[in-house]
This record gives sequence, structure tokens and C-alpha cells, in this order.
Amino acid sequence: MLTIRRILLVLFKEIFFSLMLLFGVSIVIFNILYFSPGDPFSHLLSGQLTDVSARENVVNALGLPSSISGQFFSWLVNVLQGNLGTSLRTGKPVLDEILLLGSNTLFLTIGSLLVALLISLPIAIFSALKTSSFFVWPLTIIAYVLSAIPLFWLGYIVIYISTEYFGVFPIQLGFAASKTNETIIILLPVLVLGIASGAISEMVRYIREELTRVLNEDYIRTAKAKGASIWRHAFIEGLLMPITIVLTNKVPFILGGAIIVEQIFNRPGLGRMAWQAAQDRDFPVIMGITLAAAILVRLAFLLQRMIFMLAIPPHQINRK
Amino acid sequence: MIGKRRPAMQLFLVVLLAWSNVSAFTESERYGGALNYGEYGRASTFDPITGNDMITLRMTELLFNGLVGISEKQEIVSELAKSWKITDNGQVYTFVLRDDVLWHKGSDGIAHRFTADDVKATFDVMMHPKTITPLKVRYEFIDKVKVIAKYKVTFYLKRPVLNGLAKFTFKIIPRHALRNPEYLTRDDPFVQHPVGTGPYYIKKITAANEVIFQANDKYFGGRPYIDNFVALPFADQNVMNQALAFNTIDMVVQVNPRHIPELQGDKRIVLKPYNALSYAFFGYNLRNPLLSDKRVRKAFALAINRKEMLKSFFNDQGTLISGPFAPGSWAYNLDVKPLPFDQRQARELLSEAGFQMNSRRILEKYGKELSLNLKVPIAKENEALKRVVLAFKGYLRRIGVKINVQFLEWQAWKEAIFLRQDFDIMFAQWVFDDSADISSLFHSGEIGPWKNNFGGYSNAHIDRLITEAKLTLDHEKRRTINRRLHRELAEEAPYTFLWTLTNYAAYNKKLRRVAIHPYKFFSYSNKWFLTPDERN
Repeated sequence: MLTIRRILLVLFKEIFFSLMLLFGVSIVIFNILYFSPGDPFSHLLSGQLTDVSARENVVNALGLPSSISGQFFSWLVNVLQGNLGTSLRTGKPVLDEILLLGSNTLFLTIGSLLVALLISLPIAIFSALKTSSFFVWPLTIIAYVLSAIPLFWLGYIVIYISTEYFGVFPIQLGFAASKTNETIIILLPVLVLGIASGAISEMVRYIREELTRVLNEDYIRTAKAKGASIWRHAFIEGLLMPITIVLTNKVPFILGGAIIVEQIFNRPGLGRMAWQAAQDRDFPVIMGITLAAAILVRLAFLLQRMIFMLAIPPHQINRK
Repeated sequence: MIGKRRPAMQLFLVVLLAWSNVSAFTESERYGGALNYGEYGRASTFDPITGNDMITLRMTELLFNGLVGISEKQEIVSELAKSWKITDNGQVYTFVLRDDVLWHKGSDGIAHRFTADDVKATFDVMMHPKTITPLKVRYEFIDKVKVIAKYKVTFYLKRPVLNGLAKFTFKIIPRHALRNPEYLTRDDPFVQHPVGTGPYYIKKITAANEVIFQANDKYFGGRPYIDNFVALPFADQNVMNQALAFNTIDMVVQVNPRHIPELQGDKRIVLKPYNALSYAFFGYNLRNPLLSDKRVRKAFALAINRKEMLKSFFNDQGTLISGPFAPGSWAYNLDVKPLPFDQRQARELLSEAGFQMNSRRILEKYGKELSLNLKVPIAKENEALKRVVLAFKGYLRRIGVKINVQFLEWQAWKEAIFLRQDFDIMFAQWVFDDSADISSLFHSGEIGPWKNNFGGYSNAHIDRLITEAKLTLDHEKRRTINRRLHRELAEEAPYTFLWTLTNYAAYNKKLRRVAIHPYKFFSYSNKWFLTPDERN
């Protein structure tokens, strides 16, 4: 009972802080957009309406507030009503597009985090347990080498190998492609992003250090001496917490990598959408995606807090 | 001599190829199949008014029609208009429209009939202040449109224009399908769900953003042979090329020059050159006193080996140019030869202009070094462009000119060049329509923010020639003036003119009877067909 109340309290606090943070993020991004060179109109007009007054006429015709604060607040009021606006490029509602493509990016992000974890976890555990083993060093090197592979390079190589040696073109072509290799098409980008996003080495290092530290704690030694399972005691502090921390910390980086992977594997997603929008100065889309990304990162952080609260009894926190 | 003989041979081959194709398949065998083509991304919209990118332009060619069209032989042919009459003063154009044209089925499920009201509505929408369209400036010469009868419409021009009929190729949109019949913005659902009269309509857009076009059985020009066109957006050119080589797609609309040698070796793939009315150049800011001397600009042109650059960076897929028109254009003056690569002459010109080499091996005049910035836009992953720019820098360094290259993001570059005119040298490419109108590039009236004479070139004599060429209604006279303009601007060197690159479309050889319009691309696609045994 007490736990639920505590969780709710923290949840509300977090949501409040998140809203403040989102507000801050949107102000910063809006200012960057406003003061960066180029505006959506010069893109829409493509240099055709060459006259300055003609440009102003268009802005007036569209009914845009002229001041930066006016523009920001009209955007904010709309967002508070759940309206992220429409894309200047396609005229489609931004929210619909984000929800449509967001699931693709979410799948890619979560999937590749799992891939990175699946590779790094065994290495981390092995090297924490068998510190004196001959294999620790080569395994660590492998983790670092994998992390050092440039994402775009691995993407091309994977596509090349897949087409030349396995006869599979690993790119989603809904209408044109035969449905047989759908699984490969979905999994390859996830694998590439998981391997080459640079997360593996950090995951190995962090989890190994934490696990080694915990395994050397007195209570583990006592448990070991009594013949109890060390995992029952070391699991939460030595594995669950470091994994949660390192996973949530990696979310922003993986999101960044998703842009590249989505470009190369031609997958529709938020990354590609953001890239296109930045080129077109499609302000509503850029703002929308930034908010979505910030929310995603915050959600990951919130999840981490929740896991911690459930995992560690309150009296332990108080003790620390 | 060799250069002159080659086109004739190519022509012969093309004729032979076309003849063998036609004879091989009967009319009924040609129907069917789907053509998957790779595009450089998603189209912004699918309507011909608010769309402003090449992807949209190509797609609207499948979806819509103009009053008149341009045939493969560059002749004006009937499309939505059956016949036309132009008054003697050249200011009143009356079109009699076809009465058998149906619009594609819209959201109401009804195929409405095309009438003169649609023509008038299209023009009015185009000119409405709330409509943002690049077309507006091009049709300002039209005063008003009047519907005479259900299938008859008259355009009144403000002034007679040369080749007026060719301007009526703009695409007609249906009045009934617009949310607001007076203007069109991108939040109108029409721009994503277009209703046209063309040989294809959009059947579906998939989650992966592929656009699937379906043949229009009721097309007034006869049902097209190929059942489906499928546009697949690619974010990466290397991957698109790989997809073509791997048979996953059947056509790439424009091949990156880098990939040409690779595709040339592939027997299943046809590389088809098509002429693009465009050229690349280095432009100079004449407000900089160092660059206002034309000897300096000419020296720069002499100092760079353009032939070598074209050869090593673009596999020789292009033509060197000598003046301000695209070589495919009727206005181009072949008698003016491109400047040779001659660094000795370049040095002489610079010393004549008063420059002397200082101890750091940089030219200077009155104690001021000849050190200039060069602003280059970062185009979508274009390595060739970077090499051109670095080669330019290297060549000029050899004659004692220091160039500081700055790569700028596209919008930032546009503001630096066109708005603030904050540059010494810039690199860019112009793309023309077939009017060969260069008035906005070099006329002194076009100096100012967001205007095309960004270098501030001002010459009363050139101004006069440009105005004369623009006003004359006599094609031959215009051609003569343009040839003269070409010669004089080559001498004046406000730009260092570089080259026109040849565009190549690449397609699987199962696709037959392919004819391509230089920039609209799909104009003749209703006659393309796929060989029966290789359809998927």
C-alpha cells in the first residue's frame, strides 16, 4: 500500500518535471529554428517569388503572426489542445505522421537495444565471474571493435553481402517484393543498429564493473560462505540496476543512430522524417519530432525510476 | 569532326532499336505488368500547383494533362484541347476542348466530366494570392480567362508572347475536387488525393510510402500499356543503384554519374541519355573590387582544366560550355568555343591587371592579397561536387590565388548568396525551361535581395540586348540576339561557365519503346510497355 502511494507520488512529480522539461526543450528548439538560416517559405517558393514584398504577402495570406513570441505561443496553444499542426511539406497532420512512423522507430530502437544487450550481457557476466580467464581480454576487444564499427559502413556491407551471397535484397518494398524474406528485412536494420551503435562496449564495461563490485561486497561473500545462491542476492544490485541504467542512458544515442539506419535501409521512420523536415525547414514536423523524442527519453527514465522503486525496498534507500 | 559524327550514329541506332521493338510484339501482347521505379525520396504533394520538386513534377505527368502537350519531336500537340485559334495580334487564345474526357473517380466515387469551368478554375487558383506556387510568375502574362461555352475557353493576354501556345502545357485540375474552389494550399486533401485526367491514377500509397499508380481504362488517349507504375522512394543513391542491379526495381530516373561505369557493364540494363537544360558554373560577386576586373575573372577561367575535371569527376558524361545557355537549347552559340586550359595566359592577364606575386606566393595588388572565399551548398551526398570545388582551389593556388572554401547547408547558402550577397565566389547550377530566358540572371534590374543577379552584374549594353530578346516576337531575331548575348557574356565572364552533364535514366531491358521528356520525364509513358515473358 505504502509502495503504491510512493510510486504515484514520484510519478506525479516526474510528470510535472517532464512537462517543464518539454516546455524548455520546445523553447530552445523553436529559437534554434527561428534563428537558423532559411525559412519554410523560401523552400516552398523555391526562389520563385523573388520579391521580398511578395514573400511577405504569402506570410500574410497564410495568417502567420509576425513576431517570434506570437508564433511560439500560437504553436503552444495548439499543442496544448493536442494539435501539433500540419506539415508544411505535405499538408498532413504532424501527429498522425508521428504516430504512424513512431511505431517503426520504436521497434527499431527497442529491438536494437535488446540486440546490444544480448551481445554485451554474456561478455560482461563472463568477465566479471572469470576475471582471471584467458578469454576475458579477447572478448573485451571484440566488444570494443564491434562498437567502433561505423554504422553507415556496416549498413552498406550487410546489404552488399545479403544481395551478393544470399540473394536477398534486404530492403522493404511492400508492393514489389516477394513476401518470403520479410523477417530478414525487418531484422537486419535492428541487428545493424544494435551492433554498430556504439552501445556494446559501454554496456559491457558498465555492467561488468557493477557486477564485479557487487560480487566483492561482504554480503555476497557471506552468502557464498553459507552456500546460498549468489544470484538471488546479487541480481538486483549487480545486474538489474546496471542494465536498466545503461539501457535508458543509451536511448538518445540509439535514436540518433536510427536516423542513419533508416536512411540506409530505406525504412520509413521518425529519423528519416526528421532528416527530411530539417532540409525543408518544415518547422511543425521538426517541433513535433523533437517533442516525441524528448517524451521517449523521459519515458525511459521514468521506467528506470519505477524499476528502481520496485526493486529496492524504501528502508534501503533511506539507509544510503 | 568526330564530335559531329557521333550524334548521327546514335540516331541511327535508336531508330533501328525502336523498329525492332515495334515489330516484335503485337498490340494485345503489350498490355500488362508493373514498372517499379526508384525515386530520390517522397513527393511533397501530388498536385501540379503546389508541388515544387522534381519528384512531384514527374508524378503529375502521369496524373494530369495540359490543354496542349509537347510531342517527342518537340511539336505542340493536342491534349485536353481539340483545336485552338490565336488572333492576329497574338493576344487572344481560344481553345475548343475535348468533350470526351472524364476525371478520375474522386472521393464521391463519381467520374465527373471535364469542362471549360475546370480550365478557368485552374488558372484562377494558380493566380490566387493564397496559393503558393512556383507557376505564378510564369503565367503573369495572362490577363484573364473566359468560359465561352461548356467546351470552349478563351485566354486574354496582357501582351503577345513568343511561343505563347507552348505555355498552355500547364496541368488542369478539377474544380469539383477542391475543398475551396478559389485557392489551393497544402492542407487541402486534394494535394494528397489528386484527381486528374491522366493515363494513371493513384491507387494506393503504402505504409512504406510507395506510390502505386493504376492505368486509367477511360484515358482519352487510349489505355496505357503498363498496368501499374510504382514509385519507390529511396533515401540513399547507392542502395537505389544496388536495387536496380539486383532487379528489385526496373528503372532509375536519374543515375548518379558515379554509378554509370558499373551499369554500363550490365547487359540487362539500358542506359538512356536525355538532355537536361542545365549547366554548372562558378559565379563571381562583382561588388568585390578584386573581381570587378574582367581580366581577373577570365584568368580564373583559363587557369582551371575543365576538360580534365569533367573527365575524372564525371566520367566525361557531359559537354563543356562557353556561355550562359544550356548547349541543348536553341539559343546556344556553337561558334563560341570554351576557353582552353592555359595557366600562362592566366598569369599574364593577372599581371596585366596589376597583380604581383608576394613572398608567400600569393598575388597581391596595393598590398591586398588575392584571397577569396568560395561558398558551396552541400547537396545531397555529392562527392563529385566536392572534388570540383577542391580542384578549382588547387588550380587557382598554382597561379597564386588563395581560395577559402566554405561548405554551407542549402538554406544557409541561399541566404548568404541571394539575400545578403555575402560571398566572393559561389558554385551552383541553373536549370532552364525551353524558353532560354536569361534575363533574370544578368539584367541589372534583377539586382537585389532574392533576385537572380546575385553577383551584381550590371552592363547597360547587355541590359538592352536582354530586353530586346525578351520583347521580340520573331524567333529568328531572338535567336540572333541570344547568340550575340552568348558571345558577349562569354567575354565578360560574370561566371566561369563549366559544363552541362548528360542525364541518364537506367532501366531493365524488359521495358520497351521508352521515350523520355528532358525534365517532365513520363510524358510519353503511356506508350511504354513490358515484354510479356518478363513481367512480374
